Amino acid sequence: MPTSEEILARLARIAEDPNRYAEAWKKARGRKVIGTFPMNFPLELVHAAGALPVVVQESGQPITLGRTLLFEFYCGYTRSLTDQAMTGQMEVFDAFFLVDHCVALLGAADAMRFELTDKPIFLAQYMASMDEAWNVPEIRKQIDLLRAQLEEFCGVTITDAAIAHSIRLYNRNRQLLRHLYDLRRAGRIRITAGQMQVLVKSSMVMDVEEHTSLLADYLAALEQENGFGEDLVKLHLSGHFCHAPPIALLDMIESCGAVVVDDDLFAGFRYISTDVPETGDPADGLTRWYFDRNTNVPCSTQAQKTVDWETYLVKSLEKSGAEGVIILMAKFCEPHMLYYPELRKELDRCGVPHLLIETEHLGLPLEQLRTRVEALLERVSRGAVASPAPARHLQPHP
Amino acid sequence: MSLLIQPANPKLMAANAVKRLSSTRMGGAMVKDYWDRLFTARERGAQVVWYNGAAVNPIFQAAGIEWCHGEAFGARLAAMHQEGPAQRTGEDYGYINELCSYARTTLGCAVLTKQATVSDDGISLPGAEQDVLASRLPAPDFFVNAYAGCSTGQQWDEITYRIFNKKLPLFKVSYPFLWGNKPDHGYLRGQEWEDASRYVAQQLHKLIEFVEFQTGRPLDWEVLREAMHYIKRASQLRLEAMALCRAKPAPATFWDWIASIAPINFLPGNQALVDYFAGVKAEIEQRVIDGVTALPNERYRLAFDGIMNWNKVGWLANKFAENDAAVMCGRYTHSAFWNEPQLIDEDDPILGMAQHYLLCPFNHSAKILGELLLRDCEAYGIDGVVFHATRTCRSASNGQMVVAQMAQRAGLQTMFFEGDVADAAFYKDAILESRLEAMLEAIDARRMTAA
Repeated sequence: MPTSEEILARLARIAEDPNRYAEAWKKARGRKVIGTFPMNFPLELVHAAGALPVVVQESGQPITLGRTLLFEFYCGYTRSLTDQAMTGQMEVFDAFFLVDHCVALLGAADAMRFELTDKPIFLAQYMASMDEAWNVPEIRKQIDLLRAQLEEFCGVTITDAAIAHSIRLYNRNRQLLRHLYDLRRAGRIRITAGQMQVLVKSSMVMDVEEHTSLLADYLAALEQENGFGEDLVKLHLSGHFCHAPPIALLDMIESCGAVVVDDDLFAGFRYISTDVPETGDPADGLTRWYFDRNTNVPCSTQAQKTVDWETYLVKSLEKSGAEGVIILMAKFCEPHMLYYPELRKELDRCGVPHLLIETEHLGLPLEQLRTRVEALLERVSRGAVASPAPARHLQPHP
Repeated sequence: MSLLIQPANPKLMAANAVKRLSSTRMGGAMVKDYWDRLFTARERGAQVVWYNGAAVNPIFQAAGIEWCHGEAFGARLAAMHQEGPAQRTGEDYGYINELCSYARTTLGCAVLTKQATVSDDGISLPGAEQDVLASRLPAPDFFVNAYAGCSTGQQWDEITYRIFNKKLPLFKVSYPFLWGNKPDHGYLRGQEWEDASRYVAQQLHKLIEFVEFQTGRPLDWEVLREAMHYIKRASQLRLEAMALCRAKPAPATFWDWIASIAPINFLPGNQALVDYFAGVKAEIEQRVIDGVTALPNERYRLAFDGIMNWNKVGWLANKFAENDAAVMCGRYTHSAFWNEPQLIDEDDPILGMAQHYLLCPFNHSAKILGELLLRDCEAYGIDGVVFHATRTCRSASNGQMVVAQMAQRAGLQTMFFEGDVADAAFYKDAILESRLEAMLEAIDARRMTAA
């Protein structure tokens, strides 16, 4: 039985270099590898087609040739996608599928299509507006389109039973990850923010059954070590859509005397927040999942009048006991820039110290950021002296 | 749009300035009257809708309400160099300057209008001060979002809705991006186009139901048909007038069509609109007859890709003219704004309206954009393409580098300059100047080689 550290190290290697894993998977099974793009793609459909679904990750390589097809003022993730396409880093993928309507992502996918002429890039656009009844059947229609396209591309028939089976496998995987989140919130285990990222990010790129098996082993191997230490400031990390923030940044934050107890990052709780209904028509279940995710963890990429990210955030703080929030924003991410003032207003109203950190593709000024994080933690600590538990009795705005 | 023309180089202005159409001044006056009237909507007891994106205004016209197009007001502020108060308000509110400057500007306007006219309890404050232009918009009764292509457009109205405390109704029209999954896809053709057209048309019927509910009266379909009749005629005249500019040297340029965007984009569909474009066409026809040209010494013919840099329109017009470069056509002028009038069935206009909304120039794949550009380059005898890399507008910037490569493969010179729709800080004159000179020299070199 491997130790928790050994399992984590293995998952970290895969999360760091998912293409190598995909190549090995492909060689062993002789089946297709399909790249998908964040943040709402139903991986279950690709799995049901017998292919390996991989949420394409930001590369750790500097952006070089990609500059000739996408401007510098696009987010790091989209620039990285274009660069990966132009520098031969996407050989393992047989095709790409996406559903999200993000203007920058569509720009990058279109640039990739220009470069990778031998790889289909299929868009089944999910409408981002979630308030209209007529958009529910529209999403269902897109799922049917995806299914038909995957059948054609993979040369298989995707049965309802296969989709239902895939849904159960992915639900199980998400449930195990959410269990880890629950344990972390409750203070029963110590998982660093960087480790949590590895656990979630690896689930985006691995064979789901293999990942679930490793997660189960990891949970069994975890020692019941407690212990944040009373002097550590509890933080919530918020935002950072589409791709993972640098682990070095997360490590730096916790090295300042903080412990991350919760997050709503895409490469975090946002990704695994919601299960697909397991009863009824499985395509209807995948449709429902799209809407349920935004109700459970609202996202400013979606347009929904009935949910508010800031309300969710404040409720999360109450649940986890987080005393401060660091908002991680990928530079040039417009939906996040648009919503940031709403988050700021509500956190200010509730008296929650918070800090905005913008991230770039490479090269964060960690030492400068350290000073800002330390200042935040000092604010939290000073607040704690004045008021013993500032974040525990928050009332979201009605 | 009212344009403030500034000489890029005053010494050269007299000799090399672009000779703009005098008929477009009437458009400027019509647009000014439109805004001045809108500012008094509350005093006149009119209902007001704020909307963004596609030109759904004929529906508002038929509903008997007044309409405020958010980007248009942002563009007007920038063109008049009065965007500062709105952008500073947006910055104070928390917006980062890399966010779409249309959104930042109009959200700043929303904050200013809300502060001036609505209390936190949602009570109107009719006597409040609204002293800067950016704060003069009448508070809305409801919102309509109809943004094709750009995901930010839809998200931004979600925020406007929140700025007004989520107390005003908001209707959203969703548009499929014309991606082109299947080989049958092309401009105005293929199953994807047909499906998207029907889907948007269905939503327009829902929008009409929503507007009827907000106004408490049925839409006047005769007014809608009449408005679309005038818009169709105005569009035909605009295209006919554009076609006259294929003459060499050109009787009018892209900058005249930029000046004509506001009328075709959001003014009421009526006889005055038709008269405006008839006047523009007549002036161009007369110039052709009289041998009057837009530039005194046209040596280069260029295309302009991207959305407009509203702070710098006059500056740019003269900068190109100083270099004897006639900018002839562009995506934002020639592939937008009711640009396929044959699609409009005046008796049953909804489908044609839906299709025009889908034809937003930011709702196409790069391949289609490239094909449209090359079509126009051939029609207008273009030597080179200028790409305005619009710093905070990803939807206008999408595909530009791909399109540039397509243009280069077709033998056209290309250049990029960075700017922005409504934030002058992103534009650097020296960069434009040096790159333009380099491109024109390359065109000269190519001509010499060919000769």
